[in-house]
Amino acid sequence: MINKPQEYVAQSYDPRAKDYVSSQVHAFGPDLEQIKALLSTHSSASLLDLGCGGGHVSYCAAPLVKEVVACDISQTMLDAVLQTAKEKSLNNIITQRAQAEQLPFENHQFDWVISRFSSHHWHNLAQGICEIKRVLKPNGTAIIIDTIAPLDKTADSFLQTIELLRDHSHVRNYNMAEYTQIFSIYELTLNSITQRELNLEFHSWINRTNPSAHCIQAIIELQQIAPAHVKDILKFQDNHGFSLPTATFILNR
Amino acid sequence: MTEQSSSPPIDPRLLSVLVCPLTKGPLIYDKEKSELISCNAALAYPIKEGIPVMLVDEARHLTDEEVNKYK
Repeated sequence: MINKPQEYVAQSYDPRAKDYVSSQVHAFGPDLEQIKALLSTHSSASLLDLGCGGGHVSYCAAPLVKEVVACDISQTMLDAVLQTAKEKSLNNIITQRAQAEQLPFENHQFDWVISRFSSHHWHNLAQGICEIKRVLKPNGTAIIIDTIAPLDKTADSFLQTIELLRDHSHVRNYNMAEYTQIFSIYELTLNSITQRELNLEFHSWINRTNPSAHCIQAIIELQQIAPAHVKDILKFQDNHGFSLPTATFILNR
Repeated sequence: MTEQSSSPPIDPRLLSVLVCPLTKGPLIYDKEKSELISCNAALAYPIKEGIPVMLVDEARHLTDEEVNKYK
């Protein structure tokens, strides 16, 4: 029996590591292009890829900076990242297993901390953000990218339920106000927010987590019975795909 | 030879950046036991196949006697 929250997330992701390395949704995107542009003049920088998952931030960043530490709670995911880094001859990527809320790094260690599609798995968002600030150098930059929950409470409930049915290790999608409030509490200066739309194709989205047939059926039923305004907000489609807003927050210490 | 002592050596780049996730204090590398020791937290973090597991819940609790050996 798994009692510890971080083990629950790790064990959920261990069998699916390779799916996340090859996932097209995760491997490409304008947010990764934005990261590359920002890092293009920082060849001596140290970078932490927090909640690295399939390692896509690390692969983008490694040719541009001095050193990348790819950090995740799942050892299997880290093994897949290290293997892929070797195949890509990215020898400046090192991996470290740790949880976002309790990082094993010194104060002021990194010039950049980037976390992409990870914070919705953290069990304590505030503590994770506090740790990011702690490990950032005084003039360091943090980039937090994640899906954003709707402000409408009904749509939010539908989204969280669908996410949980699809992935039992899902914790919470936060809304824009929740993120900005936490950044403000920990005195991280918000320099910019870039909002984008993430289109989720149903079959590849479902196949990455492989939920039971009951859960898949429940997701489809929820989409069908949702009130019109929820269908509109989450852009449910006839093929069960849907869209989520994402935000790229650029923050300075 | 025990299973632990046959663990490959830790990447020296990692050793230079890691601290105890609980106290944020320094760590001592015990090569023989394949552990990273935090005297302040009285914890030993295991190194599995060259990879330090920096999770408080997976660390071994040290007795006072063990901690004193590292001081």
